[in-house]
Amino acid sequence: MELSWSTFLLEIINFLVLVWILKRFFYRPLQDVIARRQRGIEERLAKAEEMQRTAQELQKKYQGRLEQWQAERQQAREVLENELKAERAQRQAALQQELAQQREKAAAMEQRRQRDQHRKLELQALEQGSQFAARLLERAAGPELEERLGEMLTDAIEELEPSQLQQLRAQLTERDTVAEVASAFPLAPEQRQKIEALLQEVLQRQLHCHYVEDPELVAGLRIGVGGWELDANVRDELHGFARLAREPAGD
Amino acid sequence: MDGGELFPSALFRLGPLTVTSTVVTTWAIIAVIGLTCWLLSRQLQTRPGAVQTLAEGVVTAIEDAIGAVAPDHVKMLLPFIASLWIFLVIANLCGLIPGVHSPTRDLSATAALAILVFLSVHWFGIRSQGLRRYLHHYLTPTPLLLPFHLISEVTRTVALAVRLFGNIMSLEMAALLILLVAGFLAPIPILMLHIIEALVQAYIFGMLALIYVAGGLQSQMLRQQRKENSDAEGEQR
Repeated sequence: MELSWSTFLLEIINFLVLVWILKRFFYRPLQDVIARRQRGIEERLAKAEEMQRTAQELQKKYQGRLEQWQAERQQAREVLENELKAERAQRQAALQQELAQQREKAAAMEQRRQRDQHRKLELQALEQGSQFAARLLERAAGPELEERLGEMLTDAIEELEPSQLQQLRAQLTERDTVAEVASAFPLAPEQRQKIEALLQEVLQRQLHCHYVEDPELVAGLRIGVGGWELDANVRDELHGFARLAREPAGD
Repeated sequence: MDGGELFPSALFRLGPLTVTSTVVTTWAIIAVIGLTCWLLSRQLQTRPGAVQTLAEGVVTAIEDAIGAVAPDHVKMLLPFIASLWIFLVIANLCGLIPGVHSPTRDLSATAALAILVFLSVHWFGIRSQGLRRYLHHYLTPTPLLLPFHLISEVTRTVALAVRLFGNIMSLEMAALLILLVAGFLAPIPILMLHIIEALVQAYIFGMLALIYVAGGLQSQMLRQQRKENSDAEGEQR
C-alpha cells in the first residue's frame, strides 16, 4: 500500500480525458437529443393547446349559435302556435257559420218538405174531392141540372162587363158566323131560341147556331164562337176544379 | 482476480512515469467507454431504441440525483459527477473479470480521484462566486473555525480515497484468501458481494463528491440569501 506518484498523475489525466470524452460523445449528444425531443413535445403540446383553445372557442361559438337557434326555434314555435290558434279560431268561425247555414238550409228544406207534403195531401184531398164530386154529379146529372146550368150561363153572359163584351166582339172576325152549342141532353126549342137571342144581342151580329149532343159533358152547355168558348157544364167545371187544385198555391 | 498480484505492478516506463497495471486497466476502461459512446452518438434519434433509452435513463437519473442536491447547478456539475459514477461502477466491477484488477484497489487511483474531488470543490466554488468570496466562507460563522475547516477538507479527501481503496482491496483480498483456503468456485458468494459492494462504493463516492461540491456552492448561496434578507429588512425599517 504505497502511493505511486506516476499512477497518481496518470490517473488524474486519465479521468480528465474520460470526462472530456464523456462530455463530448455522451452527455452533450444525449442532452441535445433529449432537448430536441423536449422541444418537439413542447411544440406538439403548444399545438394541442392551440387546437384545444380553438376547439373551445368553436364549442363556445356553436354553443352560442345553438342557444340562438333554440331561441329562434322557440320564437318560431310561438309564432306557429299563434298562427294555428288564429287559423283554428277562423276555421271554427267558418265552421260555425257553415253549420248555421246548413242548419238554416236544413230547416228550409224541412219547411219545404212539410209544405210539399201538405200540398201533396191537399192535392190528394182535392183529387179525392173532385172524384167524389164527379161520381156524385154523374149520378145526379139530368135535364133539370142542365137547364139550371143553362140559366147560370145566360146569367153569367148577361152580367159581363161592357169592356169584356167589347173584348169578345173584337176577337171575332167576319167569318165567325156559326156558334157551336154542345149539350149533354137535347135542348128544348125555347131554350135554343133564348140562347140564339142572347148571343145575337151580346155579340151584335147574326149567328147561326149548330147544336150537338155530348154525353161526356154530364150536364150543362158549351158554346164556342170563333176563338172563344163559354162553358157551363159539369165535366169542364170538374176539370177546372182539378186543374185549380194542381196549380201552385201562389199562382 | 488471478490471486497472483495483490498490489499493482509496474509494467513499463513512459519517460519519467512508471505505467502500472492500474493505469493500463484505466486506459482500457476509457477506451471501451469512449468507443461505446462514439458508436452511440452516431445512432442517436428522436425516437430512441433500447440502448439509447438505457443511456438516456442513466443520464436522466444522474441529472435527477444532482438536481435533488444542487438544483441550480445541474448542467455545470453533470460532466464531473456523472463521469465519477460511470467510471467507478465500471472500474469497481472490473475485478469480476478473471485476470483483471479493479483500478480502485490502488490507493494511487483513489487518491487521484479524491484529489480531483477536492480540487473540483474549490474550482466550482471559485467559478461560481469568485476567489475572495469563496475563501471567505472558511471564516464563517467565526474565524475561530478556520482550522477545523482546513482539517475537514484534508480528512474528508483522505477518507474518500481510503474508503474506496480499502473496500475494493479488501473484497479482492477476501476472495483471494477464500480461493486459497477453500478452492475453486468457493469465492462465488464473495463475487456476488463484490457486485453489490462495487455499486454501493461507486454510489457513495459519487454522492459524497456531489455533496462536497454542492456544499461549497450552497454555502455561497446561503450567505447570499442571508445578505439579501438582511438588506431587505434594512430597507423595510
